[in-house]
Amino acid sequence: MARLLCVKFRNNLRNLIRLPPSKDFNSCKTEMRYGYTIERMARLREERVGMADMHASISSLFSSITADGGRPRRALKTLPVFSNLSVKRLIELLFGVSASGYSSQKQSIQASVGIRFSSQNDIESTVKQGTVISSDIRFKYPEFLPHPYMKWRNSIREKLERSDMLKRRSNIVIPEFYVGSILAVTSSNVHAVTRTTKFVGICIRRQGSGLNSSFLLRNVVDNQGVEILYELYDPKIQKIDVLRLEKRLDNDLMYLRDAEPQYSTFPFDMEPEYLSKEEEVPINPIKVKLKPRPWRKRYELDDYKGIEPFDHLLSWRVIRRKPRALKHKRPVQYDLMWHYRNTIPEEEQREIYTEVCSELQKQEIRGQKIKRKSEFVSPEKAT
Amino acid sequence: MSKILLSAFNSGKHFLLNSKILSENNKVINGINLIQIRTHLPLRIRYPFWFLQKERATYYENLTKKNREFLQDVIEETFGPAITLHGIPTHDVKSPLLSQPFVRGKWNIKSQRCGLIGRKIGIYPMWTKTGERIVTTLIQIVDNHVIKYIPPEEFDPIRKPYNNIGSKKKLGCLLVGAESTDPQKFTKEYCGLFFKQGLMPKNKLGRFLISPEAVIQPGTPLYVNHFRVGQYVDVRGQTIQRGFQGVMKRWGFHGMPATHGVTKTHRRPGCIGMGRDKSVQPGKKMPGHVGYRYRMARGLKVLRINTKYNVMYVTGRAIPGDTGSIVYIYDTNVTHKLLNHHNPPVFPTFYPEDLEEPLPEDQFTPELFNFSDPSIMYEVPVAPKKKK
Repeated sequence: MARLLCVKFRNNLRNLIRLPPSKDFNSCKTEMRYGYTIERMARLREERVGMADMHASISSLFSSITADGGRPRRALKTLPVFSNLSVKRLIELLFGVSASGYSSQKQSIQASVGIRFSSQNDIESTVKQGTVISSDIRFKYPEFLPHPYMKWRNSIREKLERSDMLKRRSNIVIPEFYVGSILAVTSSNVHAVTRTTKFVGICIRRQGSGLNSSFLLRNVVDNQGVEILYELYDPKIQKIDVLRLEKRLDNDLMYLRDAEPQYSTFPFDMEPEYLSKEEEVPINPIKVKLKPRPWRKRYELDDYKGIEPFDHLLSWRVIRRKPRALKHKRPVQYDLMWHYRNTIPEEEQREIYTEVCSELQKQEIRGQKIKRKSEFVSPEKAT
Repeated sequence: MSKILLSAFNSGKHFLLNSKILSENNKVINGINLIQIRTHLPLRIRYPFWFLQKERATYYENLTKKNREFLQDVIEETFGPAITLHGIPTHDVKSPLLSQPFVRGKWNIKSQRCGLIGRKIGIYPMWTKTGERIVTTLIQIVDNHVIKYIPPEEFDPIRKPYNNIGSKKKLGCLLVGAESTDPQKFTKEYCGLFFKQGLMPKNKLGRFLISPEAVIQPGTPLYVNHFRVGQYVDVRGQTIQRGFQGVMKRWGFHGMPATHGVTKTHRRPGCIGMGRDKSVQPGKKMPGHVGYRYRMARGLKVLRINTKYNVMYVTGRAIPGDTGSIVYIYDTNVTHKLLNHHNPPVFPTFYPEDLEEPLPEDQFTPELFNFSDPSIMYEVPVAPKKKK
C-alpha cells in the first residue's frame, strides 16, 4: 500500500510540476532536507511560480521516499508539522487526491457567505467584503476554539457558548494579549475595603476554552511571589489593561517560578506602552536565569528557548538519566494523528471565526475609541 | 400405576406418567399419556407492548440513487417536509387528531406530571449576580412527542410494589418518544407504534407515570417550557461505563504501601474474611463492574432556559452519562424542593398556541448573571460617623 501511494504521489507530482523524467534525484538529496514544507510546496504549486526552486525541494522529498524502500513515513518525518493541519488537507497536499474537491468546496463557501479567499491562500483571507480575517486570529482569540476532544464536542453547545462570550465582550473590552504580556486587571472583590482590587503582573499561562478560559498573572510583591488566576469571562472583572504587549520565546512561562525574582517583578504603577496597530507584536528574546535546583519541573527534558543554558546547575545523576528519560518521551511532533486529534481542523476554525469575526471587529474598534478617550487629557488653563 | 418421573425432553420440565388420568392437556407418545407438571414456576415477565424488535436487519439492497430519492420523497409526502426545529433535523409533522381533544386537568399538590427526554450536550460555567461561579449542565430536549396514554386501569407495570400488591391503581402511563428518525431504519411493528398517531418513528422511547388529570393528548409535541425557570428537577441517565475495576477505584480502598518491602500487592484489597467457618460475608466490597447503570441526580435547579434551541441549564456537573447521552427529566421528589401552590407548574404541559406573545430567547432565574449585563460591582459600605 505504501509503495502504491508512493508511486501515486510521484505521478501526481510529475503531472503537476512537469518534472524532467531523467533527473538524478540523489544528487539533490543533501542540498534540501528541512527547507521546504508541504504547505510551501502547495503554495508554489498553486501560484505556478518559482518552478526552479520547486524542482530541488520536490526531488529531495521524492528521493527520501524512494531511498527508504518506498515508505512515505520517513519522508513525513523530515517535514515540520503544522498545528492546524487537517487530514483532508494533508492527503490532498501529499497525493493530490481531492484537490478538485477542495477547490469546489472553497467556491461553495464563497457563494454561501459571500467570502472571497485571496489567491495567496492561507496567509490572509478576505471575509464578508471589507472585514479581513488574518491567519493569526486563532492566536489572538484562542478561546473561541472549543476543546478538541471529540467526545465533549457539540455544535449547539459551542454556538450557545460563543454567543454568551460575545455578549460578555460587548460589555467589557478584553484586549489582545499573549503569554509574556504584562497586564493590569481591575476586579471587584468583596473582601477589599474599596471593593475593588488591581493587580499587575506578567501572563505566564493561558488555558481553557470557551467560558472556561483563564489566564495566570505573576508578580513579586515584597520579595514574595504572587500569582492570581483570572477567568477571562468572569463578570467580576471590571477592566483589563495591557501595559506591555509582547510575546516571549515560549508559550508557557511557568519556569519563572524557578527563575530569579527580578524576571517577574513589575511595579504596580507601570505606565502602559502603546503599540500602533500596524506594528507586529514584538517577541522579547530575553533568556531567564534559573535558580539552583530543586525545581518544580524537569526543565532539562523540554527544550525551552527562554531559559539560559543551565547545564552547570544539573548534577551528574540528572545528566546521566537525561538520555534515558528522553528515550521514553513520545515523539509527538511527527505524529500526524496526534496533531489531528489535539487541534481543531482548519476548516472548522475558519467556520467558527467567520461566525464571530464581524462582531469581534466591531468590538475592537470600540475598544480603540475607549483607549483614545482615556489617553486624551484636557488642556489646563495657563495662569 | 406407579408414578415415574422422566426428565426427558426439556431440561427443567418434568413429566408425570399416568395412563389413567385423561384430560385435554394429555399428550400421547408411543401409547403413553403424559401430563406436564412444572416443579417450579419460572418468573413471568410480561413486557409492555412497546418492547418490540426495533432494529431491522440491514443488507445491501441495490438501490439506485433515483430509488433512494424516491423513498425520501415518499417520507416527505407522508410526514411533511424536512426542517430543522430548535437546531434538530426533523420533519414538519402535523399529527391529525384521532379523538376529541382531551380536557385539560387542574393541578393539585398530589398530581404527578409527565417528564421529558433530553440529551446532555455539555457543561459550562455561569455566574450569579453576587459573583459566585456555578457550573451548569446543558440538556437539550430532542423533538419530544407524546405517543400513547394508558389509563390506570389498563396499565400493568412489570414491577409491582411487593408490600401491597392489591393496592388500588392510581397512576396511568404516558409513552413519550424522542428524535424523529427515518422509518427505513426500523422494523414494521416498531414503526406501527407511531404510525397510528400519525407520527414519525422515534429513536428513543420513555415511559412516565402520571396521575390521570395530567394526561396529554397523544401527538402533542413537548418543549423545554414544560419546566419553569427556578424549578427543581431530577435527572435520570446511564452512567459512564468504566468496565471491570479494582477495589481502589470501585470502593475507594487505600491499597497497600508502595515500598517497605511490599511486593505484588499495591492495589489489592487485602484480607476479605476471617478464619473458621464464616469465610467471606455476603456484600463484601470486591472488584467488579463499574458504571453503565441507571442513576438519578436529584434536586437540580433549572437556572436558565433557551427557547430557540430547546436547551435547559441545570445546576451541577455530575449528571449521569457522557456528553451526548440520553437523560430523562422529571419533577423533583426531594421533599423541600417540591412544587407548591406558590409556584405551580405548567399543567399538563406547555402549549405554544396559548401564548399571545412569543417567549424571549433566554429566560433566567433572578439570581443569575446575564452576560449582556455590565460587570458586577459591590457597593462600598459607608463608614459610620463617630459620635462626638
